[in-house]
Amino acid sequence: MTTHHLYRPLRIVASVLAVLLVSTLASAGPAQFIIVNVNAPGVGFNDPTPATPVGGNTGTTLGEQRLIAFEYAASIWSARLDSAVPIRIRAQFTPLGAGVLGSAGPVAVAANFPNAPLPNTIYHIALANKLAGVDLLPGSDDINANFSTNFTFYLGLDGNHGALNDLVTVLLHEFAHGLGFSQFASLTTGALFAGLPDLYNSMLFDNTLNKFWPQMTNAERVASATRFGRVVLDSPRVTEHAPSVLVLGSPTVQVDTPASIAGPFQFGTAAFGPAIGNPTVSANVVAAEDAVDPGGTSTDGCSAFTNAAAIAGKIALVERGLCGFAQKARNATAAGAQAVIIYNNAANVNAAPPGMADDGINGAFVTIPAVSIRRADGQSILGVGSPSMTLGIDRTLRAGADALNRVRVYAPFPVVAGSSISHYDTAASRNLLMEPAINGDLTHRVKAPDDLTFELLQNEGWTFPDADHDGVADDEDCNPNSDRRATIVIGGADTGVPNTLFAGGCTSSDLIAQIATGAANHGGFVSGVAQLSNQWVADGLVTGKQKGAIQSAAAKAGS
Amino acid sequence: MGKLRPRRLGIVAGAAAALAIAIASLAGTVRVSASSDAAAEQAKAKHYKGTRPFVVDKETGALRLPTQPEVDEVVANLSALGQRPAETLQQTTQSNGALTIDLDGGFAGVMLARPNDDGTWETRCVFTLEEGAEFLGLVDDSIR
Repeated sequence: MTTHHLYRPLRIVASVLAVLLVSTLASAGPAQFIIVNVNAPGVGFNDPTPATPVGGNTGTTLGEQRLIAFEYAASIWSARLDSAVPIRIRAQFTPLGAGVLGSAGPVAVAANFPNAPLPNTIYHIALANKLAGVDLLPGSDDINANFSTNFTFYLGLDGNHGALNDLVTVLLHEFAHGLGFSQFASLTTGALFAGLPDLYNSMLFDNTLNKFWPQMTNAERVASATRFGRVVLDSPRVTEHAPSVLVLGSPTVQVDTPASIAGPFQFGTAAFGPAIGNPTVSANVVAAEDAVDPGGTSTDGCSAFTNAAAIAGKIALVERGLCGFAQKARNATAAGAQAVIIYNNAANVNAAPPGMADDGINGAFVTIPAVSIRRADGQSILGVGSPSMTLGIDRTLRAGADALNRVRVYAPFPVVAGSSISHYDTAASRNLLMEPAINGDLTHRVKAPDDLTFELLQNEGWTFPDADHDGVADDEDCNPNSDRRATIVIGGADTGVPNTLFAGGCTSSDLIAQIATGAANHGGFVSGVAQLSNQWVADGLVTGKQKGAIQSAAAKAGS
Repeated sequence: MGKLRPRRLGIVAGAAAALAIAIASLAGTVRVSASSDAAAEQAKAKHYKGTRPFVVDKETGALRLPTQPEVDEVVANLSALGQRPAETLQQTTQSNGALTIDLDGGFAGVMLARPNDDGTWETRCVFTLEEGAEFLGLVDDSIR
């Protein structure tokens, strides 16, 4: 045996098992997903157009391939989620509008149901059913999915989608919204849905306000929804696994001090000068002053800075307007600044930080990093005088997480596509399934170390199928139905030796049973058990006396 | 199957409402709030037009601006699938105390796509009409 490197004594996993005890007691096996095909004959899932099998999808008609892709995506979630109540997805392919690929969401929500972990809290109906252990809306479907017949998806199951959109990945994403990865508060008024928090927004935490979303006023929620980089999911499971998924090193424009405005700013980049992070700049910010040009201001940086001595070695802050971005950055370079930040002017108070184009003249003279920021952020800098800021790569932060490894949600200003707070931040790297865009490098894996979708759902109350309650998901368990007896029993003889559970989900007894299965004869079995138990002694897992008991029982078994 | 239009959704929602009432009646007490298509009403108050070519013409294969009917269809899709006030949705209190709310097809994540110059597609998942309009370049023409 060479698998001893995977072993972990039972006592080490005991704490994990204790944490999982409540959930595993309710383990009901892989959730059954039922695709309820509501298409009429001849269309959608029933489209008889001949199709060549592709990427593991064996369907021979367009309709069959669509249905197989749906079932495949559902099977991926089924392997990860456990529920005694079937999850019904009411699905159809139909001619949606141009540009609309499809949609999915919960059919209903529930609160205050039997066994609800949190009172007065909105749950997606599939999760509520799972936690209640009964179908709260019998006869009703749980997720509604509509996808477009006007769009050519890649229908293979292998992820080799090329330039096409991978239907399976899109389905994994949208199904996750239907299972629990979305919030319901109005982004227009900030009002909680039905006056109640939901499970997802109960985990949304604003680092600026130091409040969870349900603790906020409506106005605070509206403001928080566009507070870029400052809203995170306070989800212990996601945070625990973030280091295994997200890379260290995050491009950032952030205030280091004072604490009152510390944190990242949303920023735009420039088509001129060195890229942000080349080099990383940490310095105090000084507002630039210049002569007032016709139509301009003393803060627009369109002519030589009059406070160049104060700017030198610092980060220059300049207001947008009158002249081009490159000219402002050139003037900052000439003043000796280490970097320049250009904040939106009053005319662009509601605009996102722009990408800054070169004018073909001044860009060549810019030798310092230049970024743009929101007007509100520029004003907050001015409000505290001369804060210390960093422009560059923060190598202490994971890309897409805060300093505590809480993963950020996408909350740009102003509202843009995907900014509905129900996605991970696009700053995440590696790319995550639940970012607002389906990136081409996504896999079909939904949990760490490849992704963090399952971990969020797990924190909401979803558990994984675990038939033997060993804390290892069945589809990853080296034996999903382990011999979990307290001691090693061989051929009916109790050795009295503790039966260790190893990290991969196998026990000592499982490994001995594997030897029995693979051995050509009794001698081979005894030899294999001797080799294994000798290794256990070497690893300090059993004593010499215990090894003797194991080898003796093996010798007697079946002899 | 026809297209996903508000009228059809209304029919489906109506049937779902009737079914839910029947089920809830069996379960216990029932509280039903007045249902209305607030999202559709909201969309009607605005008039969007297309400013960005994101439609691949079926005949020429070329990118073009959406026609007004195409814009209206996208707006209708996004409105039907988006957020809406809970007061407009059917709420039921079961005998066991559980509160359930039928979302009437709303609160869905909607995956949109627009073509890139290199033949690939850029996607974005949205929950509101405003987000979708921003991505597809639809502007409210009623604001003048």
